[in-house]
Amino acid sequence: MIRVESVDKQFAGRPVLDNLSFTVPDGQITALLGANGAGKTTCLRIITGLLRADAGRVLLGDIDVAQQPMAARRQLGVVGDREGLYERLTVAEYLTLFASVQGLAGKSLERALDAVREELELDALWLRRTRGFSQGERMKVSLARALVHRPRHLILDEPTRGLDVLAARLLRRTLSRLRAQGTTILFSSHVMSEVAELSDRVLVMAAGRIVGGGSPVELMRESGCDNLEDSFVTLAYGAAAGRPRQEEPA
Amino acid sequence: MNTVNAIFTRQMSALLRKEFLEAWRDRRALWMAICFSLLFPVLLAGSTIFFVKKHAEESTRLALLGGEQVPVLAQQLRSDSLEVVIVNEGEPRALLADGYDLVLQVAEGFVDGYRNFRAPKLYLYVDSSSTSAGRAERHLQERLGGLQQLIVSQRLSARGVAPQLLAPWQLQVRDVSTPSSRGALILAMVPGLLILTLFVASLATSVDTSAGERERLSLETLLLQPLPGWQLISAKMLAVASMGWLGALLAIAALVALMPLMPLAELGIQQATTVAGVITMGLLLLPLAMLVAVVQILLALRSQSFKDAQTQLSILQLAPVTLLMVLDMSRVELGEPLWQLMPLVGQQQWLKALLVGDSVSLPLVVAGSLVCLGLVGLFVALGARALRRESLLGAL
Repeated sequence: MIRVESVDKQFAGRPVLDNLSFTVPDGQITALLGANGAGKTTCLRIITGLLRADAGRVLLGDIDVAQQPMAARRQLGVVGDREGLYERLTVAEYLTLFASVQGLAGKSLERALDAVREELELDALWLRRTRGFSQGERMKVSLARALVHRPRHLILDEPTRGLDVLAARLLRRTLSRLRAQGTTILFSSHVMSEVAELSDRVLVMAAGRIVGGGSPVELMRESGCDNLEDSFVTLAYGAAAGRPRQEEPA
Repeated sequence: MNTVNAIFTRQMSALLRKEFLEAWRDRRALWMAICFSLLFPVLLAGSTIFFVKKHAEESTRLALLGGEQVPVLAQQLRSDSLEVVIVNEGEPRALLADGYDLVLQVAEGFVDGYRNFRAPKLYLYVDSSSTSAGRAERHLQERLGGLQQLIVSQRLSARGVAPQLLAPWQLQVRDVSTPSSRGALILAMVPGLLILTLFVASLATSVDTSAGERERLSLETLLLQPLPGWQLISAKMLAVASMGWLGALLAIAALVALMPLMPLAELGIQQATTVAGVITMGLLLLPLAMLVAVVQILLALRSQSFKDAQTQLSILQLAPVTLLMVLDMSRVELGEPLWQLMPLVGQQQWLKALLVGDSVSLPLVVAGSLVCLGLVGLFVALGARALRRESLLGAL
């Protein structure tokens, strides 16, 4: 479980997160839904320990991310908003590097590499350097890197951005399998169809705060809308903004 | 404890492997390192060969206008390096334009005047805007001066006067320089260039591994791993230092390989660099290569962008050469032990000595290298702190 408790964050005096609190339960896919600038990426970066909260705390299970960053990073797999590949390394070298820095060696390293190779269909890419990879191929390698040490918590920042249909399907399949295995999954997005299809639970974020939460159906019921997009707009910007426009009478 | 050590070693070796693969597979950086490293020894050897060859082949062409009156003078002036052509008529300016370095015009009635001891005139025409004019004029003056001295001696002897009366003393010049001190003069700039090579050869790699990784967001991926910052900086520093060190080793090897082709004997220099000297030079540069690498990484991490990092480091690479030149010109006694503890100065002094076959003080080398490594440790710690800065990720 991921617990975010009363987190504040400012950049140059401008508040980005304001008393932000939420939990992400184990074995579920939780979507953090928000417009650009809502604070999603900052929130994810604080959860991963890349940024420090000005106030509040983040717990991964029982581990306080700020107090025990090394222990927290062993429990985390992260796919950022860029893939973070090394273009002069082959896929095998790249994944071996990250598996090794996570403490895997010998047989367990080989098993971990074989597993992600098979699960993410990386055979054709395995010995190729990542320079020139398509967006889908880059995402697959990045996801393999995040999963190679079998983390208990997986964080993804807008994971389907720029993916073709096949890559997006593979990603969805992988996330569903991980959910079934009990992994805690949190992803940010502003793509409604992706959120509706993937997530068990949606957290709507606006101006650095959670303004609504629940399953997609619950959100629609709460906002009185019949689709997730209208629900999001209603919750994030108010009822007037969320109501569909009526045709003016002639 | 053993498990912790094993994990630590495994992590470090995985990181080192990544950084070295990334650095050594970067063809642009590799070619830059190799080209610059070979460039300056080749230029040094080429310029020395050219200088000596030009000096050896230089001869003066003299047009002796009206020289048919004074065939003996023409004969006495002639030498291997002074070609004398007797010309009966012509304009001095036109003759100079025609390829002669000098025109010596014999005045009319020269022979009568000479015989009657009336100091007849010789007119020397020279084009002082020509690059060879000064050398040619000095050359002729030396020949004429020697001839004049000989004639004065003969005239005095014919009159029963001892020629020594006109020479209260004889000046003899004796060069007391040793081959190594002459070598030090010629090779004075080499240590500075070797140190510059360290900076240039590691520049592209240091920018790529720091500002480049930050810009490509792959640094963020590394920061998400359970790795202490000092390990990240150390691995990057060692990979960057390997590139700079390779450059310096290549330059030393090329220099020593080219030395037999250089006309050092003609310049009065003995080649004194031994294999042991070359190995020692390489080892002496290793701590400095690490220091240069970590300073470059720190600066690149502080820069705003990849391009900004390139600009800053390009300026930085001029710093060591400028510093060493200023210290040399300020006539500071750099051989003093305290100076040798200072990075750059110490290495410069040791390289200078080794290049000409002199020995270096082992305790000073060890102390100077330890100072250098101490600074490396300090900068690694600063680098680890820099990795925790939020502004590094472009968050601010």
